[in-house]
Amino acid sequence: IRAASSCTNGQTGCHFLSLANLFDRVIQHSARMHGISNDLHSEFELYFLPSKNQIGRVSRNCHTSTILTPNGKENAQRIAREELTEVILKLLVAWREPLWHFHQNMAQHREFNNFSSNKSLEMSEMVHELRRGVQKVVEKMQMLGVINSSLGNLGSPEALLASDRAEWRLMNDYDLLYCFRRDSNKIQNYLKILKCRIVPEHGC
Amino acid sequence: MYNARMRTHLGLVILCVLSAARVCSSTSAPESPRKFDCRSREKETFSCWWEPGSDGGLPTEYRLFYTQERLREVRECPDYVSAGANSCFFDKKHTSIWAEYTMTVVATNALGNASEEFRITDVMEYVKPDPPVNVTVVVNSSAPSPFLEIRWKSPPDVDVRTGWVTLKYELRVKQNDSKEWKTVDIGSETFFNFYNVYPGLLYMAQVRCKLDHGKWSEWSNTIFAEIPKNCKPTVVTEISFFYLDHQVEKIPLLMGIYILLLKRNVVKQCLLPPVPGPKIKGLNAHLLKSGRSEDVVNALMGNQNFPPVAAWTEQVEDFLLVSDSDEWLLTDSFASEKNKDIFIIPAGLHLGLEIQCRDLSVDLNTWEKTDDSKEEAKSNFLNMEPINLPVEKHEFLNGEEMSIQPLANTSYVDIQQHPTLTDYSRVKEVNDNTILILNEEEIPHGLDAEEVKSEVSVPDDYSRVKEVNSDVVFLEKGDSADKPIMPLESELSKGFCLKMIASGYVDSGPAFSVK
Repeated sequence: IRAASSCTNGQTGCHFLSLANLFDRVIQHSARMHGISNDLHSEFELYFLPSKNQIGRVSRNCHTSTILTPNGKENAQRIAREELTEVILKLLVAWREPLWHFHQNMAQHREFNNFSSNKSLEMSEMVHELRRGVQKVVEKMQMLGVINSSLGNLGSPEALLASDRAEWRLMNDYDLLYCFRRDSNKIQNYLKILKCRIVPEHGC
Repeated sequence: MYNARMRTHLGLVILCVLSAARVCSSTSAPESPRKFDCRSREKETFSCWWEPGSDGGLPTEYRLFYTQERLREVRECPDYVSAGANSCFFDKKHTSIWAEYTMTVVATNALGNASEEFRITDVMEYVKPDPPVNVTVVVNSSAPSPFLEIRWKSPPDVDVRTGWVTLKYELRVKQNDSKEWKTVDIGSETFFNFYNVYPGLLYMAQVRCKLDHGKWSEWSNTIFAEIPKNCKPTVVTEISFFYLDHQVEKIPLLMGIYILLLKRNVVKQCLLPPVPGPKIKGLNAHLLKSGRSEDVVNALMGNQNFPPVAAWTEQVEDFLLVSDSDEWLLTDSFASEKNKDIFIIPAGLHLGLEIQCRDLSVDLNTWEKTDDSKEEAKSNFLNMEPINLPVEKHEFLNGEEMSIQPLANTSYVDIQQHPTLTDYSRVKEVNDNTILILNEEEIPHGLDAEEVKSEVSVPDDYSRVKEVNSDVVFLEKGDSADKPIMPLESELSKGFCLKMIASGYVDSGPAFSVK
């Protein structure tokens, strides 16, 4: 993360500028992650579901369905910053293992070309990187007093999802991709909303 | 009689049955609706439409019921009107992005009903914004070439301020009579400068946008722009209006061509200036061609006052000697040697030299005698940093005495004829592997060779050793605090002799070893 080297408006201003930079970075990261998940999902559809029928598809159960997420703009703007941040982290943590196993499966199947296999690896790594990035943002926010430090449990979000460990194994690959595409879109949106709530003056 | 009546009754009955049947086939229960589609304009609300099936000839009512992913209850469509016929509009309160909807449309009429279920997995899949608005284009005619300034605004309902949506634009431009569009990805900006235009042509442009990863909107309204033709031709055409007829126009044209032909060299110079080749200051290309290396070297290295080569070659065979006794006069045979051997004696050491440096002896007395000449020599010292070229007097083979005269700003030594100076103590520095020059500030007198031998610290004299050139000698300036770089060994008693060949190779005499 590039330090705000051109700050002249005092320490506080500098801190907020660097927080905005941090946000921009994680948002870019999440946008890229969502793009890859979108590509992979489309490729899957090409190979496995030639007859696309948007309406009338079988319902899917995503393993992250248990995580309560704001499903609209107003909701996302109304809930507390801490809560929104927690949701983001929960989602990121929930996908770490499933994506890793997905990539392992992909690497073994011969019908996928290298391109898709690389994407799945990139995707699983990005989830991990993004989570670290968001944790940095959280630390920065806590340091600046933007959010309460009561989110101590975010240091180990795995604890939050200990019970959901096995559920993702029930999903098949296609459902997994669909669910992740949706969740990566959520993460991207929440991060943008969070940024515009906390540091709106730096481009929204 | 009975037969006629029965036939009539039968006919009537048949007629009745037939008519009854006709009435029955025209009405039925409705068919289930088909083709369900939805659209969200701004990711905050969405609408869905269905295509009704046959209504069975009776007035049919359509109702939509839905459940959401997590809601157990079944709800009915909140708004059947806003989105038109056979539609349902979900406002902000009823819209959940990323949530799954299960819609059921029921068609009901007097005779029955029919329903169909549709599933919307994610409203995000139906996001399609309106096209951008207020698309304007301005032709910017500034130098060096004209371009189109195209601007637009985001569609009215889309909220770009809260970060909820990311809008991306796409622009396409084409010539009016061309078939192919040039498409440009814009990102999130709302303007673009399009440079690929030519004067005199008419262009049309359109913009469209996309929300997040949704679908592209329709193209916006087309805007047109014409690039004006260049001004210069218009001036000419204006002038031409002054001519009565087109024939007269040709006269200045012909005159112009004639003048151009006359002055074609000038024109050629003007229009096609010769491309200058690379130039090295002071270097003449012809010089290189002529091949005289000395001239080239001179040109390249500037106006350095190197001694004339001829003069140097004359002195090639001359040797610098430190000698007080005649026996050190070298024979002519040396003079005839072509190698540029120069012998240097460090200051303070009275060494005799033989060309092979075999017999070196120091005659202290000789040194003392040369006090006067030392003074002389001293005055010839140049205190130049880093070059300190003393004027030395040297005895040479053929009795010529050469002195080393420093050249200004060069490290080159010019050997000239000079009155004899047997005192080589002034040799300060060797330059160019030819001459060792020792900077001697204190000339120890009466220094015994033996002393030299025993006292390694005699380096007082060798403290003059300041610098070694080409591994020959370390010459150190004046300061006795400076340690000599070279250790002196006992063999020093014999002094040392440095024979330097112009190539830089140095033979050191047995007198010492260079560390």
